[in-house]
Amino acid sequence: MKTIKIKIDDIETEAEDRTPILSIAQKLGIKIPTLCHHPLLEPYGVCRICTVEVRSGKRVRMVTACNYPATNGIEVLTNSPRVKRDRRLILEWIMARCGHVKVIEDLAAEYGITEPRFGRGDDDCILCGLCVRVCSDVVGANVLGFFNRGATREVSTAYGETSDKCIACGSCAFVCPTGAIQIENDSALVREALPLGPLTPIHVPFLQAVPHQPVIDRDSCIHFKTGGCKVCEKVCEVKAVNHAQEDVVENIEVGAVILATGFQQFDAKRVSEYGYGVYPNVLTGLEFEKMNSASGPTGGQIMLQNGQAPKSVGIIHCVGSRDERNNKYCSRVCCMYALKFAHLIKEKTGADVYNFYIDMRCFGKGYEEFYHRLLEEDVRFIRGRAAAITDFPFNEQEVGKLIIRVEDTLIGQVRRIPVDMAILATGLEPAADATDVAHTFNISCGGGFFTERHPKLAPVSTPTDGIFIAGTCQGPKDIPDTVAQAGAAASAVQSLISRGEIEVESATSVVDAEKCSGCRICNTLCSLSAITFDEEKKVTVINDVLCKGCGTCAAACPSSAILARHFTDEQLFSEIEGVLYDVRA
Amino acid sequence: MAFRTHVLVCAGTGCVSGNSYATATALETEIFKKGLAQEVQIIRTGCQGFCAEGPIVIVQPDGVFYCGVKAKDAPFLVEEHLVKGRPVKKLMYTPPETKGPIPALKEIPFFAKQKLVVLRNRGVIDPEKIDDYIAVDGYTAIEKALFQMTPEQILSEIKRSGLRGRGGGGFPAGVKWETCRHAAQHRGVEPVIVCNADEGDPGAFMDRSIIESDPHSVIEGMIIGARAIGCREGFVYIRREYPIARERLLKALEQARDYGLLGTNILGSGMDFDIEIVQGAGAFVCGESTALMASLEGNVGEPRAKYIHTVEYGYKNRPTNLNNVETWANVPLIINRGAHWFSSMGTGSVSDNPWNGSSGTKVFSMVGKINNTGLIEVPMGISLREIIFDIGGGIPGGRKFKAVQTGGPSGGCLPESHLDMPVDFDSLTEAGSMMGSGGMIVMDDQTCMVDVARYFIAFLTEESCGKCSPCREGLRTSLDVLDRITQGKGAPSDIELLQEIAEVMQDCCLCALGTSAPNPVLSTLRYFKDEYDAHIKEHRCPGGVCKELIEYIIDPDKCDGCHACVRGCSVQAITGDVKKTHTLDKAKCIKCGACIEACKRDAVQKVPRSYAA
Amino acid sequence: MARLSIDDLKKIREDAKRTLTLRSGEARAKVTIHMGTCGISAGARDVMGALLKAIEDLKVTDVIVTTSGCAGLCSREPMATVEIAGQAPVKYADLKPESIVRVLKDHVLEGKIVTEYALASGCETTG
Repeated sequence: MKTIKIKIDDIETEAEDRTPILSIAQKLGIKIPTLCHHPLLEPYGVCRICTVEVRSGKRVRMVTACNYPATNGIEVLTNSPRVKRDRRLILEWIMARCGHVKVIEDLAAEYGITEPRFGRGDDDCILCGLCVRVCSDVVGANVLGFFNRGATREVSTAYGETSDKCIACGSCAFVCPTGAIQIENDSALVREALPLGPLTPIHVPFLQAVPHQPVIDRDSCIHFKTGGCKVCEKVCEVKAVNHAQEDVVENIEVGAVILATGFQQFDAKRVSEYGYGVYPNVLTGLEFEKMNSASGPTGGQIMLQNGQAPKSVGIIHCVGSRDERNNKYCSRVCCMYALKFAHLIKEKTGADVYNFYIDMRCFGKGYEEFYHRLLEEDVRFIRGRAAAITDFPFNEQEVGKLIIRVEDTLIGQVRRIPVDMAILATGLEPAADATDVAHTFNISCGGGFFTERHPKLAPVSTPTDGIFIAGTCQGPKDIPDTVAQAGAAASAVQSLISRGEIEVESATSVVDAEKCSGCRICNTLCSLSAITFDEEKKVTVINDVLCKGCGTCAAACPSSAILARHFTDEQLFSEIEGVLYDVRA
Repeated sequence: MAFRTHVLVCAGTGCVSGNSYATATALETEIFKKGLAQEVQIIRTGCQGFCAEGPIVIVQPDGVFYCGVKAKDAPFLVEEHLVKGRPVKKLMYTPPETKGPIPALKEIPFFAKQKLVVLRNRGVIDPEKIDDYIAVDGYTAIEKALFQMTPEQILSEIKRSGLRGRGGGGFPAGVKWETCRHAAQHRGVEPVIVCNADEGDPGAFMDRSIIESDPHSVIEGMIIGARAIGCREGFVYIRREYPIARERLLKALEQARDYGLLGTNILGSGMDFDIEIVQGAGAFVCGESTALMASLEGNVGEPRAKYIHTVEYGYKNRPTNLNNVETWANVPLIINRGAHWFSSMGTGSVSDNPWNGSSGTKVFSMVGKINNTGLIEVPMGISLREIIFDIGGGIPGGRKFKAVQTGGPSGGCLPESHLDMPVDFDSLTEAGSMMGSGGMIVMDDQTCMVDVARYFIAFLTEESCGKCSPCREGLRTSLDVLDRITQGKGAPSDIELLQEIAEVMQDCCLCALGTSAPNPVLSTLRYFKDEYDAHIKEHRCPGGVCKELIEYIIDPDKCDGCHACVRGCSVQAITGDVKKTHTLDKAKCIKCGACIEACKRDAVQKVPRSYAA
Repeated sequence: MARLSIDDLKKIREDAKRTLTLRSGEARAKVTIHMGTCGISAGARDVMGALLKAIEDLKVTDVIVTTSGCAGLCSREPMATVEIAGQAPVKYADLKPESIVRVLKDHVLEGKIVTEYALASGCETTG
């Protein structure tokens, strides 16, 4: 491409032929105001505020810098008196339409406009077209357009109706220079889709993520919806973004597996009497934890949906736990975290805090003492399972509040406690796919939690050799206990590996390949995953290491192809003969 | 040997008995004496039919009909008519009941001063019959262009003719064609040609008439253009408000296709070309070339910056050559008769540089306060005075000429002092107006020039696409100022404000609609500033138009109580007994003008509004 | 339909010229009603209708009736041009259905130009 020489504001410079003047000026650090320009979009040239003076020989032209292609030998003046005069009137014109928009007022102030001669209009859209163009050129949804001609021109969706093509990506609001576009949140939908606050589709999952790198959420990424966008790819300097990446399935051969698949939070919607997802300001434990976190969406501030701090908070224990209708077990952690919340709320907001409990389970080191500290901090404890949360006020004090109805069993009265915010201390449940995982690894699952080999003596191993479990997948527990179990499982595996040789059961079963007919009846019988089928040789094979010699397969084999070592017919007959030796004669 | 004149002497029995043979011989003798034997032929024809008035002599192609021509009349007739070109009135047919004879068309200035080039076939051929067009030597130019000329030769011919765009821009057509052809070759992309039939200027109907009367001239011009530029596709973008023109053009295209004059292998030349008609949807801005192309592509008709020319990147990013209807219609004649013939009409010397003058003719639509409203074609360089007073027949009602507006909303108003100005591209632009597409609106002393400026700004405010802020807001704010002035609420600073708005719009608007929009305001400010001053300082409207500044009164000296005005008034503002002087209630009067029209005594007057309580 | 060569075009030209200029002898006279938008909006279609009906009623057979575009003097429409073979054409203006019938009877059939409506005779100046 050809290189040309031009002069901008008395500075001589070189550039590629036909580069827009604005790019050349920006590289030199010369500031030219723009309103309808955006680096990601093709120049549009409609606000005309970037007008500059171009001289070429004797000819003088006023052109827009954003899209005028520079040619050899031109001289550009970006701030001549004529340019300033033109820009001033353009700003007065824009103010006649949008007189109270900050970005316009600021720019007007730079040009010395205090009293615009055409008055100050009340509109907030300067018709720059950035939203329309980003929606059609970048996002590819084509939801926004211009309607009507001339002074009645406006930006709208088709027929002014909500468009079902809009994917609520927020790009239009993002590029709008005046704030004329706002994203309206249907709060219930938002809560369901994005717990406590929106994220961009490409984001670092959380501050402590390892690796600490962004991931793309396929469900909300614009590219996967419309085929457009890919702005992240454009701006990444190291070209690390690749939308075409697919999950890769790898096969790794291992000798031992630790299952630490965790838990899922109890779905508070199942206790519908607490109004989760219906009333605003009813939160689950995890949601409150996220709000409270300094790296969370509110930066650690505790606030209601309207942005104000709550004056009273109710914390309900045993949500979904110790519940005949839901989970009968106790989730072990909720009492303590509910107390932690109570303390934090008191500290951060000074609000009135009410904890509604059945029993206070403070079993750990310093736990009971913490509970007592709260008693002194003036946290109110009401013993009773909260019956319901309602927003129907009985009197003036209850207007605009969430009212927790509870039977206070210590004083024997049904009470209504009005609060601004309710936190449901939701319990722990096994992960939704726990039974599938158990099935894959051939371990048992009791009510969703993996079954340990022995509840007291072998909490991290399973009856299946080589498969270990740790953490909340085995049962609800708090962090110290989880860490302890993790260490135990790791040690168990370590001892397996470091032994170099292991003792295996000697009384195992073996398949006689000649006799095996390949019927595979035994394949499904082994609870230890010791039996596999060799597809090439079409015979069953028993893994010696895994087999524990229970003999089920041997008994089931119709071809008598399986030999249970040390329990063969000959051996059994010999034993019987031995026992009957004295009797025989 | 071609005779320039045929003299047809009737030799039917009736005229022979009237001694027409002697007439014929006498004419022949005279013609020989005057040395016209090579130029004038005497033909003895059959009976002409008007035996009662014989001997009949008809002079063609003049079309003059003489009756009762005796042998002794021959010398005078030959001398006057054939030598001096002055038909002899006393020999012409005089119907008994009238005083004077029917004049020849050539004697009526409306027709005499026109020179029909583009409109040569008007009133002569049936536009819906291709054979009529062929009969008047239509489709002879494409023969020449397709078989005897190379594309470069055609380009050279058009350039040397000096043909400049008739749509308003005045850009030399030959140069545009050449640039388009070269851009297409350089980029390796096939170009396309477009005919702009959007004609949005209020009061302009030149293009409509051309298409309605002679659509094939445009088609032939485009075929020649396609050969010169090297393309196979052409479009005619016609405004939706022209259904009859569109119908006729559709028919003409069909008939041309039937004859193989459009389509593949035209006339066996190997060239393919066809034309598609695309309709507009009622937007003035779509007459602007980039907006037109956007509309042609099926997008919203909004212009874009023209820093990159449409001859390089136009319709669907292809090199596109856009010309006005009238420009295309000139092409076949230029090819047939040559660049020299075309450039011999008009002003300046264009053979070496088409910018050096304005060659050829221009079609104008003459409307407004003029006696002979209609469509005219005149050679470039004719004066405004000749157009308005000779051809136009002057101002009706004996009123005084005030101004003439040319060039539509992009043009300006010229006052009496400019009446002797030659009409061509450069003179008009220098004077603060422009040729535009050819609309010419004549105004008399009952026109308010501020109101005229306001009218055009109001029109453009409606028609602005609204894309760029200077046009959208500049027109709206100008209209507010002009509204104020015409309502008597103007401030002295308003004139400066209008001037400032005009200058910034000229600098900053995105397209020519915006940059030329201030022209009506600027030209009226230049030549009629006194009217602005009268409105602002004296709250007076000299033209008697601005309703807020005038009131209606009944002159008691002239009113005879005939009651005609009362019947015309729709708001019962006039009261009075029959045969007694009537009175007009100013509070009720809506100044519709019905009473003025109804009054035969001139008793209802428009006077400056009195602001007395 | 037929696709033409240059020679075909020439032949059509010769034939058409004759009809257009009334030299073929098939018709004695030609009446052209001007049908530009100006004429149509001023009532040219009614004028045409009246003419055609009169021709039928009077059983006239040697007159061509045809249309053309706007004649140029839009303020005087409806207009018509009457050509008798061998004579200069005459332009009529401000026509009504009744007046065109009179023009047919007086001028076309009897050769007397109707001066009340006649504007001028002859052809326009072409360049």
